[in-house]
Amino acid sequence: MSSRVLRRNLWNTVGVILFVVMVFPVFWMISTAFKPEDQVNSFTPTWFSTRPTLQHFRDALAKPFFWQDVKNSVIVVLVTVGIAMVLAFLAAVALAKYRFSGRKIFIVLVIGVQMLPGAGLIIPLYVMLARWHQVNTLTGLILVYLTGALPFSVWTLRGFVLGIPKDLEEAAMVDGSTRLGAFVKILLPLVAPGLVATSIFAFITSWNEYIFARILLNDGAKQTITVWLSYFLGTSRNTDWGALMAASTLTAIPVVVFFLLVQRKIAFGLTAGAVRG
Amino acid sequence: MSGRLPTALGIAAETATGRSRRRRLGARRLGAGAVPYLLILPVVGVMGAILGYPMVNLFRISLQRYGLFELIQRHGVDVGLANFRSVLHDAVFWHTLLRTVVFTVANVGLTVVLGTLLALLLVRVSAWVRILLTAGLVLVWSMPQVVAVQVWKWMTNFQNGVLNYVLTELHVGDFFQHDWYASPFSQLSLVTALIVWEGLPFVAITVYAALSQVPKELVEAAEIDGAPGWKVFRDVTVPIITPVLLILTSLSILWDFGVFTQPYLLIGQPHVTPSNYLMGIYLFQQYYTADFGRGAAISVLMLVMVAAMSVVYVRRMVRIGEVDA
Amino acid sequence: MRSRVLVAALAVVALGVVAATASASGQRAQANKLTVWLQVDAQSGWPDVVAAATSAFQKQHPGWTVDVQYQNWGDHLQKFDATLAGGNSPDVIEMGNTEMAKYMFAGAFANLTADKSKFDNSGNWLAGLQKSAMYQGKVFGVPYYAGSRVVTYRTDMFKSAGIAKLPTSLAQFQADAKKLAAKYRKVKGFSPLYFAGEDWYFAMSFVFDYGGTIARTHAGKWVGALDSPKAIAGLTAWKNLFLASSKASKTTDENTPAPYDVYSQGRASAIIGPGWFSCCTGAKYKGVTAQFVMPSHTAGKAIPGFLGGSDLAVPVTSSNKAMAEDWIAAFTSTENEKALEAKGNIPNATNLLGTSVNERAAARSWFVPVAKHWVDVENGNILRNMLGQILTGHLTVKQAAQSASDNITSVLNQP
Repeated sequence: MSSRVLRRNLWNTVGVILFVVMVFPVFWMISTAFKPEDQVNSFTPTWFSTRPTLQHFRDALAKPFFWQDVKNSVIVVLVTVGIAMVLAFLAAVALAKYRFSGRKIFIVLVIGVQMLPGAGLIIPLYVMLARWHQVNTLTGLILVYLTGALPFSVWTLRGFVLGIPKDLEEAAMVDGSTRLGAFVKILLPLVAPGLVATSIFAFITSWNEYIFARILLNDGAKQTITVWLSYFLGTSRNTDWGALMAASTLTAIPVVVFFLLVQRKIAFGLTAGAVRG
Repeated sequence: MSGRLPTALGIAAETATGRSRRRRLGARRLGAGAVPYLLILPVVGVMGAILGYPMVNLFRISLQRYGLFELIQRHGVDVGLANFRSVLHDAVFWHTLLRTVVFTVANVGLTVVLGTLLALLLVRVSAWVRILLTAGLVLVWSMPQVVAVQVWKWMTNFQNGVLNYVLTELHVGDFFQHDWYASPFSQLSLVTALIVWEGLPFVAITVYAALSQVPKELVEAAEIDGAPGWKVFRDVTVPIITPVLLILTSLSILWDFGVFTQPYLLIGQPHVTPSNYLMGIYLFQQYYTADFGRGAAISVLMLVMVAAMSVVYVRRMVRIGEVDA
Repeated sequence: MRSRVLVAALAVVALGVVAATASASGQRAQANKLTVWLQVDAQSGWPDVVAAATSAFQKQHPGWTVDVQYQNWGDHLQKFDATLAGGNSPDVIEMGNTEMAKYMFAGAFANLTADKSKFDNSGNWLAGLQKSAMYQGKVFGVPYYAGSRVVTYRTDMFKSAGIAKLPTSLAQFQADAKKLAAKYRKVKGFSPLYFAGEDWYFAMSFVFDYGGTIARTHAGKWVGALDSPKAIAGLTAWKNLFLASSKASKTTDENTPAPYDVYSQGRASAIIGPGWFSCCTGAKYKGVTAQFVMPSHTAGKAIPGFLGGSDLAVPVTSSNKAMAEDWIAAFTSTENEKALEAKGNIPNATNLLGTSVNERAAARSWFVPVAKHWVDVENGNILRNMLGQILTGHLTVKQAAQSASDNITSVLNQP
């Protein structure tokens, strides 16, 4: 017993040290957001400012279109993730549980699309969206983001679906439901952790995407939060580091909120002791 | 040793009964023939509608002389394989390719291994540490790339970077005003550290989610048989998380091979030179210099290369699916 | 369970509809609308000047709206390329003066020569800016504003090091730097004159000061000229100045770290940079900061400074050329240029130049070769690499200059 406690304490210590090292850049960003101007660029680093200030946050929020851009980002990302998860789950079920001709081609397509270098696609995508009058629209951006989110979502969810032990699946089929019905009713809860992990990833990738948002959206009122953030860095004059760090902290908050909302679905079966170290 | 046999038999038994049961359901499966196609139709539809034209366009432009002048005229000049020839005869292309392969191997290896170790750690710590670490991972994950690069740039600043300060204070050496950007190796190592750091959350959380799919009963059964921890891990856990690990590896390879934002911003546009080019940057430079035809040719080549690299890998992946399906 | 999924799906669809309607309203092409692209510098530096131009324009053309969209230096050209391909470029675009050549050669801009008289002071445009906006004798851009480089220094440090009056020649400056280095040798990492090793704008000033140039044309072809004896003399003088007075990194550029940060830490008694550097020298030294013009090696003269700046052009795809010209005329009017001058910029015409240090430094200036592929020389970091190699000692000045010169020749002569 005591050796187990000892081992657990050892792991806990490792965990805490890792936490400190890993989170340091984030900590640095947040602490800088609160530092007064002279401490921001000081030669000897100030770990915790003794005279914290909210001025940088005020400066950041004073930059035009902050709230509109947050709203735009939220709309774009939630719609993208919502649609992507539904479509990807269906496709993942098809890939993992059915044998059909053309399956290999579909897999190659899913992987292949992710190999397309983004830089090469910017201009043709823009030209096409312009033809459909989708430049400077949120729907245009959502369509672009879907093409980014779908392939890896399908691919990742397929892995999760494959990881489900057979007997659980067979059990559902015995009671006479159709194969698809069984899959959705039984698989969905089992794949929930995978869905959550994938949706978080889709959320974050879409939330932090910059180049397509920059190129497709023109009006300040239509842009996303990453574009808003880029204005702090885009000038040829000096960068207001304090305001930039404050602005970055603000843009990171929705992601954290989203995660907090969905995290309960992940893997907390582990606390029940499914796998013991 | 003793725990392995029952488990292996158990899995074999399941597969056998599974197969026979499937044969009984075979008749019903014929009727469900249209179902898989309907399931993949939305995805195929969306991808095809949006990426169809751009992909065709990319292939077409790679066979044309297409610079700024042609862009404005909206008309390229067909030059056959000239762009490809120009790229394949360019020594910079081959050096960059080699450098990118090494870079990708290092990045993917570190990300997947460290991420998995982190996931395993998450399993073994107390609940409060788990929450702490998960919160930390999400914070790291939620930092916009552009911002993360700026913070790293700042921390590794030659003049007053925190990294130099801490290393000197910890007496690791005298790092006062050490220039981390002095050599390509040092630059790319910093980029690797940044990319691995950014990639850890996804790998760790996904593997952790996969670990949650390992059924309690199997683990308990193996442990009752007296198998030691690492055997339980190897025989029960690994087979279940292998598909996920392989997927994470494949995704990481795809991303890290063509990575652009982090190295470009961290090294900085003024210091990007052929001696520290990565494929993503090399490609971007073509667009930056408005040589769209050449850029398209490089895109096609990159596509072909990654596809070739993945053939063996994809075949294995599909085969894993085969065994289960 | 199922109902929750259903609700979630409905929510997603609802959001999608919101998004679609939110964007659909912006789709109808608006008549009488002018789209202007300016850099973020205008948004944060002189938004009032922009507003003044727009209202003047609207008085002249009632019923027209002006949509000013702000761009970043890092990606505005990428975006411009996309709009050129997609057919919805802006009507007016701000271009960096070193960015103009490539687009002029590609026929991206409308010919403004016939309407040159529309623009205030067009007869007296600064040579450096005008050169960047002309191709084959035709005008494709209107100079907007410029910036040059000056020395920002600590009056107290200079005084205590025994420097009675400001240096008027390079040799004198070097002697002063020695005094400063001796006086402040106890300060860790102290630079008498801090400038980055790969600040090519500063380094090339020396090349031009000694009578050299970066490249010249000969029989219709470009020839790199950094390997000439004069250019090498200039580079050698620059190298000596760096090794004696700057503790900056030999391989980083003038952006990281920002020289004014080094200055505000008290680790430099003088820095090289644009005039607006005085904004950011830190509260501590605000009272003891002043500026002077970097001297030439010829006593009494200023070293030729790089004239950075922006031009305003009208993309050839615009259907509102006359209107665009009118807006540009309103924006670069004498009144507006004077307002820009008040904010620390250099106005676009010689008759508007004042006597600030910034403007005196612009008296002698140099500009990059107006070649189609000059941008590729910059993006290929040929000059920066050369400087780094010289300072780290990997190559001698002669070798590095020779190699860079050959590189420049081949890049500039690309088809």
